[in-house]
Amino acid sequence: MTTASPRRAAILGGNRIPFARQFGPYANASNQDMFTAALEGLVARYGLAGERLGEVVGGAVIKHARDFNLTREAVLGSSLAPETTAYDVQQACGTGLENAILVSNKIKLGQIESGIAGGVDTASDAPIMVTEKLRRKLLKINRQKTTVDMAKSALAIRPGDIGIETPANTEPRTGLSMGEHMAITAKKWGITREAQDELAALSHQNLAKAYDNGFFDDLMTSYLGLAKDQNLRADSTVEKLAKLKPVFGKGEGATMTAGNSTPLTDGASAVLLGSEEWAAEHNLTVQAYLVDGEVAAVDYVHGDEGLLMAPAYAVPRLLARQGLSLQDFDYYEIHEAFASTVLSTMKAWEDEEFCTQRLGLEKPLGSIDRSKLNVNGSSLAAGHPFAATGGRIVASLAKMLHEKGPGSRGLISICAAGGQGVVAILEGA
Amino acid sequence: MTQKETFSEAPSLAKVFVRAALAGKKSGSTLPASELVLTDHKVDRQHLMDYQRLCGFGVDDVLPHTYPHILGFPLQAELMARSSFPLPLAGLVHTENTITVRRTLNADDVLDIAVHAEDLREHPKGRLVDLVTEATVDGESVWSGRSTYIARGKGNPDAERGAEAPPVPQGIAAAQWSLPGDLGRQYAAVSGDVNPIHMHPLTAKAMGFPKAIAHGMWTSARTLAALGRSVNGPSTSNVWFKKPVLLPSKVDFVVDRSQALTVAGLRATRKPETEHLVLTLETAH
Repeated sequence: MTTASPRRAAILGGNRIPFARQFGPYANASNQDMFTAALEGLVARYGLAGERLGEVVGGAVIKHARDFNLTREAVLGSSLAPETTAYDVQQACGTGLENAILVSNKIKLGQIESGIAGGVDTASDAPIMVTEKLRRKLLKINRQKTTVDMAKSALAIRPGDIGIETPANTEPRTGLSMGEHMAITAKKWGITREAQDELAALSHQNLAKAYDNGFFDDLMTSYLGLAKDQNLRADSTVEKLAKLKPVFGKGEGATMTAGNSTPLTDGASAVLLGSEEWAAEHNLTVQAYLVDGEVAAVDYVHGDEGLLMAPAYAVPRLLARQGLSLQDFDYYEIHEAFASTVLSTMKAWEDEEFCTQRLGLEKPLGSIDRSKLNVNGSSLAAGHPFAATGGRIVASLAKMLHEKGPGSRGLISICAAGGQGVVAILEGA
Repeated sequence: MTQKETFSEAPSLAKVFVRAALAGKKSGSTLPASELVLTDHKVDRQHLMDYQRLCGFGVDDVLPHTYPHILGFPLQAELMARSSFPLPLAGLVHTENTITVRRTLNADDVLDIAVHAEDLREHPKGRLVDLVTEATVDGESVWSGRSTYIARGKGNPDAERGAEAPPVPQGIAAAQWSLPGDLGRQYAAVSGDVNPIHMHPLTAKAMGFPKAIAHGMWTSARTLAALGRSVNGPSTSNVWFKKPVLLPSKVDFVVDRSQALTVAGLRATRKPETEHLVLTLETAH
């Protein structure tokens, strides 16, 4: 079934700040600081100062309690008209792409004419929490009305209660880290160390080439002295990556290293979307259209499926709805949470058993042309500030499709914590 | 004839204040002809971030409207502490400040900051002097500031008072800010202005104030920051300092944007008739 959409949602441009490694140049920058900077760069590039946009949708995966209205606060700190509405979304690493889908849907329905979708995350300026026991005791002290009662409640605090916690990259229901989950999936799909290192090296080389070609000149604004993604190693090779020790998985078969896994990163991104009419009124060039999006979730809790395999399910559903095959694309952007995520996903789509039994298809989706995959680098090289990755990919892919020409197609696939996956199709204009 | 003296780094304000405190009685009616220049100043990003956070500006690569002032302030103090300067540094009160931003400045801009004194003049309540700060990038004048100080004393009742401050906007506060007791110490740590009147209730009492008082340039910067990002682009602000803000305290931020010229002010929340400052802002767009 193909649903006719009332009108198209255009991607008009994007902006991000270079991604920094954890405790790097953005160590003291907050999510609000970084998202405001990304927004402000977009506002400057597209002359949006004082403009009331339909909405700004942002969010962060790791967020302080005080940042409940993070995106709205960033809008108020930007040059956009203060009458621009905003809200936060949190869907783990899928946040940024989900936000682009949400904004595009409202544009298609005619509810808004323009909007910005983005996201931000900091692994440096993380909230600190006290232990659960201490938190409950402190709340009890706070409830007391008299000093004596407060003192009594305070006496209930034991030395063992004292300690701090920071958000961890761990699945609450399994207690396993994302890397440990991925190691299980990588082993199941027989993803080799060599294949992972090859993908990682290519990510760095492709990103370096994109910088050399000036690809990011109109997609990025330098911030706090950083003008390029800090994690990029232009001279990365398979040989160098082969020297690293595995960090996830156990024993002989462990294949995942710090080199073929994304590092913790700080950064922000924002993408401008609008109706074609709005774009014309503002003399902005339509780069691409956000055609459609799909989200899937898998049951990783009971071990039925790997934590990061949801995009493998979302993509065939999206293809079916749009009447497309996996090979009908000029570019593929598969988020490199880990090199093994990309490889496991692609292997699943080639696998007869997986495609027929898990996806309920008649035959495998087949292979994708690797020369069309992550051609300007992806998260292994650029880094991955969780909620900022979607905006990075959407803006870059829209530009690539615009250069390729009208009718060109791109597929985005992003896996997320909680066993979810967000995918989308873009069409060049 | 102006004598140019260049500095590769700003003089230490703590030393300047001590020197000023030990200096003998000052007199005279001529200003030193020196121009003090801090050359090739590269912005320290950590310092910039601390300043942006403390004053309520966004943390990014754009220099706040008031930032070059704190780069030039040590030179102002150095000049005013000298024996050739006719007024006593310790007794000077900052009454007015004007800033013009000619272009948006970036953390990568390498600045030359030049300071000189001019226009020593009589006032009904004492004598006034202007300390002029000019910031240039590659010879292009990008920012200027004029700080007016009064040395209270025997004034001339017939002297001109200068441009009168506009009235503080009336009505409901747009925001209320709680200013902590250690705000003076926090701003001193960033600006270097360790004048005892800002540091602690006891040191302030020794100087004749009931409590520590907020730095005028903090109150001005915080008010400008509240007016939005456009203040950091081409713009001109004029601020008149009225009653000092005693710390800790709660202040009302009031603003009137109905006219071409934005007028904003701070007044005491508990005693709205106590007005701390009023400023006008003109932006390029």
